[in-house]
Amino acid sequence: MAAQRNNYGGPVLNPIAMDTSRSIHRADMLVVLCAAFALAAAPQPTTDNPPLTDREKIIHVLDRLGYGPRPGDVERIAKMGLDRYLDQQLHPERIDDSELESDLAKFDILKMDETGLFQTFRDDQEAQRQRQREQAAAAKAGQSETNTASVGVLSASNQKPAQPPPRREGPRRSFLAVAELQNAKIISAVESPRQFYEVLVDFWGNHFNIDVRKGPCRVLKVADDRDVIRAHVFGRFRDLLEASAKSPAMLHYLDNFQNAAARVLSPNEIRRRQQQLAQSGAAVPAQPAQAAGTPSQPQTVGGINENYAREIMELHTLGVDGGYTQKDVQEVARCFTGWTVDPQSGEFRFTPRRHDNGEKTVLGHDIPANGGINDGEMVLDILASHPSTARFIATKLCRRFVADDPPPALVDRVANVFLQTGGDLRQVYQAIIYSPEFFSRQAFRAKIKSPFEFAVSAVRATGGKIVSDDFLPVDKRLGIEAGATFGRGMDRIASARRKSLNIEIIEMGEPLFAYQAPTGYTEDSRKWVNTGALIARMNFALALAEHKIVDVSVTPSDLIHGADIDKPGLVLDQLNAAILQGEMSAPTRATLEKQLTGNDGGNASTVNPAELTALVLGSPEFQRH
Amino acid sequence: MKLTRRAFLKRGGLALVSVGAVPLWGPSFLQQLVFAAGPTRATSGRKVLVCIFQRGALDGLSMVVPYGDPHYYEARSDIAIAQPTQSAGPSGVIDLDGFFGFHPNMAALLPMYRSGHLALIQACGSPSASRSHFDAQDFMECGVVDDKSTRTGWLNRALLECPEDRAKLTPFRAVSMTAMLPRTLQGDQEALAIADLKEFGVGAGAAGFAPGPVTTGAASGFEGMYETAVGDLLHGTGKEAFDAIGMLHSADPTKYKPENGASYPNSEFGRALLQIAQMIKANIGVEVAFAEVGGWDTHANQGGATGQLANRFTDFSHSLAALYQDLGDRMNDVVVLTMSEFGRTVRQNGNRGTDHGHATCFTVMGGPVRGGRVYGRWPGLAREQLFEGRDLMLTTDYRDVFAELAQNHLGARDVNRIFPNHRVNPGNYHGLLA
Repeated sequence: MAAQRNNYGGPVLNPIAMDTSRSIHRADMLVVLCAAFALAAAPQPTTDNPPLTDREKIIHVLDRLGYGPRPGDVERIAKMGLDRYLDQQLHPERIDDSELESDLAKFDILKMDETGLFQTFRDDQEAQRQRQREQAAAAKAGQSETNTASVGVLSASNQKPAQPPPRREGPRRSFLAVAELQNAKIISAVESPRQFYEVLVDFWGNHFNIDVRKGPCRVLKVADDRDVIRAHVFGRFRDLLEASAKSPAMLHYLDNFQNAAARVLSPNEIRRRQQQLAQSGAAVPAQPAQAAGTPSQPQTVGGINENYAREIMELHTLGVDGGYTQKDVQEVARCFTGWTVDPQSGEFRFTPRRHDNGEKTVLGHDIPANGGINDGEMVLDILASHPSTARFIATKLCRRFVADDPPPALVDRVANVFLQTGGDLRQVYQAIIYSPEFFSRQAFRAKIKSPFEFAVSAVRATGGKIVSDDFLPVDKRLGIEAGATFGRGMDRIASARRKSLNIEIIEMGEPLFAYQAPTGYTEDSRKWVNTGALIARMNFALALAEHKIVDVSVTPSDLIHGADIDKPGLVLDQLNAAILQGEMSAPTRATLEKQLTGNDGGNASTVNPAELTALVLGSPEFQRH
Repeated sequence: MKLTRRAFLKRGGLALVSVGAVPLWGPSFLQQLVFAAGPTRATSGRKVLVCIFQRGALDGLSMVVPYGDPHYYEARSDIAIAQPTQSAGPSGVIDLDGFFGFHPNMAALLPMYRSGHLALIQACGSPSASRSHFDAQDFMECGVVDDKSTRTGWLNRALLECPEDRAKLTPFRAVSMTAMLPRTLQGDQEALAIADLKEFGVGAGAAGFAPGPVTTGAASGFEGMYETAVGDLLHGTGKEAFDAIGMLHSADPTKYKPENGASYPNSEFGRALLQIAQMIKANIGVEVAFAEVGGWDTHANQGGATGQLANRFTDFSHSLAALYQDLGDRMNDVVVLTMSEFGRTVRQNGNRGTDHGHATCFTVMGGPVRGGRVYGRWPGLAREQLFEGRDLMLTTDYRDVFAELAQNHLGARDVNRIFPNHRVNPGNYHGLLA
């Protein structure tokens, strides 16, 4: 199997690449031709590896460059031509998405600018402090009841008084931001005609991972998703990288907003700081003993924070084996000192006072003294144009779009395109999409869907619609107090035992915008295969088909196109065509037929379309794409 | 195309392989479920190792504070924990041996330390100089140092070295209380990832969980499809899923009540340990259990006696203490090991936090443990005593701790096979077990 995997046969010159080259401009064509020449040595398809049929190519494109076919998609693309479809997907601005836009119009928080977003966070924080003050006062009043906590019987939130906090009137807006963001992503993936764009947004959002559970990231990620990721996925990598480096959400997530050259405070500054500390109250621990004990000692502030410097090289650009040292990490951190967030507006700001103005050396490049913000810009130039970056990004994209073990020859070519085009991402994508490896038999249905891909593709395959609701439940596993914050909605879910699509995706193991480590989710799809996750998928399939997902409307009986439910074989044929594009394996079919005839003691009678739909969605075939 | 165990290893080491192989457990595992219903006390002598990963790099110097080292206070003017003096009161460390002291929020584990069932290993960790969470976690989970060619987890390989009585093997031999299978359990030994026992069933849901075999039409349909999907990566996983569901249903996890007054924190970690206790008591064959707890990456405002890190210690210590209490005399067969990918800088950074460092502190708890002391040579915190001039020097290679527990607790035959490119020297064992 391993040997076959690496043997990426395919047509020497792909007809689609040829057809499309006319509609793309010259630089693109050059890239495509370069890719084509490199293929001269590619192995011919064999009888074991017949080339994909036109229909299979369409399915493959819908599966990999989108979130799977909706009813009628395959036929629609066959009619318009795959080359035209691909060309459109590569230029999403040419695709009308006004319908989606109006569906997303209800999400108010997503339209806010950084300052407005940051303000909701600060308002909520202030409200929380106010509550804490009230609670502290209340606890003081009822002092006699408090007792010292005994070992082993303390709750996790042991700092809080024993009595439950007073019920809040409604959800805090800064938490609702997360709910809006997650739901908007789901709705877009399900409904957007710009499917490739949505997949790319998922890829790059995951590449520049930010966990909304970290401080103000829960509001600032809204701006990051819109202004960094969505705005740049078809642009140059250098611009995307810079936008990310200046993204307040990223500056918070990887701590660079605190990265500052150490310096000695002036007596005035010390006084001011002490006043601020006194004013801000409980949030900052007071240190009277130290302040009083060392009045004449100079106080220093700042000091470099290496977190972002390390991750931008390891995870965003060069890759862990990309050839940097611990010394480079420290030097890059020095270059990014002073890249911070305005504490009032929440926007990116370069603060010269916090910047280390000494000379630096990064990956062998000298960065002269007194460069100010240019130090960081130079680092971005060095990293974005580095061959290790080209290879790292090419590998990751090929892993996502072609195979878990990406064909080395393809990675080489794509990395080359990255370097030659100065990181023009559209041309990088074209080098992958128009490659024979992409359209090879080995790549077809070779990857396991991630939970998000599985959920969205299931909704799409069944012609499901996201229905609007008056609440946006957010799961408490996101560190967000569901019960108190989302009171009414969560109660309703609990009583009805129905969950939202968002919560289903969390339970299958892929909470959106909430992966803790900066690595993001793996692009190696095999990592998603485990027993617990598989069971969760089967349960999702049942919930979806049986109308138990609160914000999805599906009608399984529509899928069978009026087939006689007394004729199980016909029903199965319809579901196979609708959900699996007729790709159901013989053993699966045999099992399901047995299932159908066995239900009533061997007496083949009426079929339950919902249950059968669930089985098809939970089948091994539908886990792949 | 025969899918061998070896092929699986190369492809990322996922879950169970049973294509063309002898089933890894016998039908008799179902008979053991009879015991699960009754109030049996012992774990039938089956040794259990519970591994806990503190993801994010634990500041070992705050957990087990070297209050006797003056350099500690020099390096951490804002975040040090005070010496155990009258004036420090409850914000001072809890003295352990005259030199080290527990962080005050680790108090829940003091009884285990005093009764000799909790050992602490200070200045422990990986000799790797990596300060990348992701690399260092990967290396530690694989049981290697700076080696990326090893794809399977050390815990998985440890089980392969342990004697297996096929008749007694169950799908729950290796379980992880996580949504995704962690690297440490990936490999040839089948392993289960379970985020929540209550959701572990097809069509189970929160309400519909009932003991007994799976009988709904849909569930048997799913089972059939995965059973027949021979040759597919998903086949083995599907088969394993249905075997496991059957067992767990019989153990009925919805009726669980912790014993001996144990009270688990209502946190992700607390719930994970509660469910581990539940499975151990249900006698469904757990030999290795894994859980993880995050929030240790304290780059800013980590706090001292109170604050961010202090809150993590509360959750951590109370969860472990609850597990210990809940398992009662079953702890005689259980060892709990906690680890973290590396420690943190000795000196606080510009944000009253600490950056990525080197050595940290591991803990080992259980009935067979020779506890009540802090193991490992103390390297000192003077500048010239630090690793790369900034971090706590390492004096215990984590592989010697893993190897000792694998060999002397789980009964692994050849520990050298668990740790590639490393010659295990039992002379380096601390003697953690009685």
